[in-house]
Amino acid sequence: MKKRRSPFLTFSFYAFLLLIASSWYFVIGIKNASLTELFSKENLEYATKFFKGLLGVGQEEIAFLNRDSWSDAFKLTVETLQMSIMAIGFSTIVMFLTVIPAARNVADGTLTLSRRWYRWFVFGLIRVSYIFSRAIPELVWAMIVIFIFKPGILPGAIALALHNFGILGKLCAEVIEDTDSRPIRNLASAGANRAQILMYGVFPTVLPQFLTYILYRWEVIMRTTIVVGFVGAGGLGQEFKLSMSFFHYTEITLLLICYLILVIIADYISEKSRFFVK
Amino acid sequence: MLSFDLHKRKFLTVFLLLLFAWSLMGVNWQEGVMHSSGISTAGEIFAAMFTPDLSMDILLLAAESSWLTLAYATAGMSLALILALIFGILASGVLSSGKRSRTLMKGSFRGVLGFMRAIHELVWAWLFVASFGLSPYAAIFALAIPYGGILGRIFADMINDVPEEPIKALRATGASRLQCLFYGYLPSVKNSMISYTMYRYECAVRSSAIMSFVGLGGLGYQIQLSLDDLHYDEVWTFLYFLIILVVIIDGWSNMLRRRMAQ
Amino acid sequence: MSEKNIIEINQISKNYERKIALSSLSFVVEKGELIALIGPSGAGKTTLLNLLASILEADSGELLVDGKPMSQFSDQKKRAKKIGIIRQQFDLVGQLPVIHNVLAGRLADWGFFKSLFNLFIPQERQEATTALKRVGLPDKLYERTSNLSGGEQQRVALARLLMQKPEIILADEPVASLDPARADDVLDMLTKLAKEEHQTVIASLHSVDYARKYFTRLIALKNGKLFFDLPADQVTDKQLEELYQLKELS
Repeated sequence: MKKRRSPFLTFSFYAFLLLIASSWYFVIGIKNASLTELFSKENLEYATKFFKGLLGVGQEEIAFLNRDSWSDAFKLTVETLQMSIMAIGFSTIVMFLTVIPAARNVADGTLTLSRRWYRWFVFGLIRVSYIFSRAIPELVWAMIVIFIFKPGILPGAIALALHNFGILGKLCAEVIEDTDSRPIRNLASAGANRAQILMYGVFPTVLPQFLTYILYRWEVIMRTTIVVGFVGAGGLGQEFKLSMSFFHYTEITLLLICYLILVIIADYISEKSRFFVK
Repeated sequence: MLSFDLHKRKFLTVFLLLLFAWSLMGVNWQEGVMHSSGISTAGEIFAAMFTPDLSMDILLLAAESSWLTLAYATAGMSLALILALIFGILASGVLSSGKRSRTLMKGSFRGVLGFMRAIHELVWAWLFVASFGLSPYAAIFALAIPYGGILGRIFADMINDVPEEPIKALRATGASRLQCLFYGYLPSVKNSMISYTMYRYECAVRSSAIMSFVGLGGLGYQIQLSLDDLHYDEVWTFLYFLIILVVIIDGWSNMLRRRMAQ
Repeated sequence: MSEKNIIEINQISKNYERKIALSSLSFVVEKGELIALIGPSGAGKTTLLNLLASILEADSGELLVDGKPMSQFSDQKKRAKKIGIIRQQFDLVGQLPVIHNVLAGRLADWGFFKSLFNLFIPQERQEATTALKRVGLPDKLYERTSNLSGGEQQRVALARLLMQKPEIILADEPVASLDPARADDVLDMLTKLAKEEHQTVIASLHSVDYARKYFTRLIALKNGKLFFDLPADQVTDKQLEELYQLKELS
């Protein structure tokens, strides 16, 4: 017997086909973008020149063979690392402050066994703030934040934190929603109040999972630090943009190497820690 | 070992707190961290949140930019899906026969995928624009490569997690490696693949919005222009469009995932 | 009203939607009694325990604990001194070390800062160690609770009750998910400790053998009504047969 597909799935399937087709039509038909033009002789020359520049072919000062440049780049790397840690730190703090009322089972009182009329209101407010935070990319946050703060790693960290607390909050609220309520009910029957239930029942259960999410987001933040730097929010990204505008191509290569090293380290730590946390 | 296990968390907590404290030392707090007019600017931006510019021109512009953003994201994502399928299947190593060739294949293709996703899409975009000039393809490729890397890695993991028994049974009937792939592996991971792609699609829309930074248009570009003109009310109009776009896709993918899980 | 009566239940009824869970049930419990609630599933055992634990409220009737209505125990801390609960083994926080699960029995007496501080440096270790010794787990103080077997976890729950020191212990199928040897063990310990501490126990059990072996009084429920209420040694096999019969003989 053939399983009948739900109409929603069928609809989605065709909607996606349509969306993909019209997107490509838009790109090719209306924007007149042509692939062949992309690989024109002229462009090929540009590209080779650009990549030769990156590799430092025929250049006198090659940044990635220069000791001073390396030490400068190292400083920037450390700064970038600091920015990423600060960013995840800020978003973790905000997440912790908001995550409890943002869980559905806290809002309806099944987890803490106490009901208050304003819980749903607070729940809605926090969830909306999560959506705002999540939907706006970190670069756009950075563009706004840079209007308020002086350039440096702080606005970068704040922008990254603004985007990530919503993601972190949503993930962690779901962890709380999945916790087993039986031990918590028993704690309540042993006379624990709301704060004690959180300390003894909820946090010990959810923290390991929180930590994996925090590390996972840190890994993503690490990758994004370079981007917020583009708008003057410090670190490797800022220098990257400067070198771009001054056509210091070998410096770009050096910065990219440093960036890749950071990303690979973050990747490795977050991967390994998943086993450690268990 | 026992006491380490018990105190592990305390050590970890202290270590992470110290790390955070160290990161805070990277900021020069003495000289003041805000612009002199920082707080009033923040107030203005916040106030504009409740009074977005809803004039017809801006709305039309926002709708057009939203479509551009969505179109780039969709085109990029469709390409990423193809890349991910090819590289993901290769990186899962199910196509190679010998043990040694399998490790080799897994290692090398996982490395390629790792490299693809290690570099942020905007950096890719920059590299493409620098070498090819401004073209929608720069944005599409810039999206397709890192997203292909992420999807490919997850697809490979999914394929590797497929239980061995049904595959062995298939092999026993004389199916080739390729037939195993199409009749064994792919059908069992299809749904999770679609779910994960949908989840990433939402991220791709956000990434597509910031492609403006290399001059490729879309919502991010308009936000940037309005910010430069200090028209915060327009900024919020575009931001609301972006938020709505993301929320719609998020909702759609949630519904789709729930239906498929049934 | 006798001084010795710790629980008085008077004409108590509870309905869910249309279904009758308990209908005008009355009995009196004296201090120090060990009572087993028996009866087929759906007879209202769990409903009765939940009413006593004030998780549910009765539709009608009177429920007195220590001569006072349940509403006087609405404060959780006060109630915890009066009534302690033990259920199947899923009552403990698995990720915490055993000592914290035991010390959780003291939360009713602790303020915010003491409970927070306790998570870093365990307080009242002496008492916790004694409690664990009494349940026969002296060396598991710092073990992760989820690493313990089901029987051991149930003993940790008993140790928590020793710290909590309630006057009444409500046990809802305390041995439902344990194998027979472990179940014997846990019930033996529960009743022994309750005797030592002069506590009153009301336990729902699915096994009549255990009920007769460890408890002094058996209260049988059927379809939300009292079927019999007898000292353990006066219950006859015939009565039990009738209790568990699928359909009443007409």
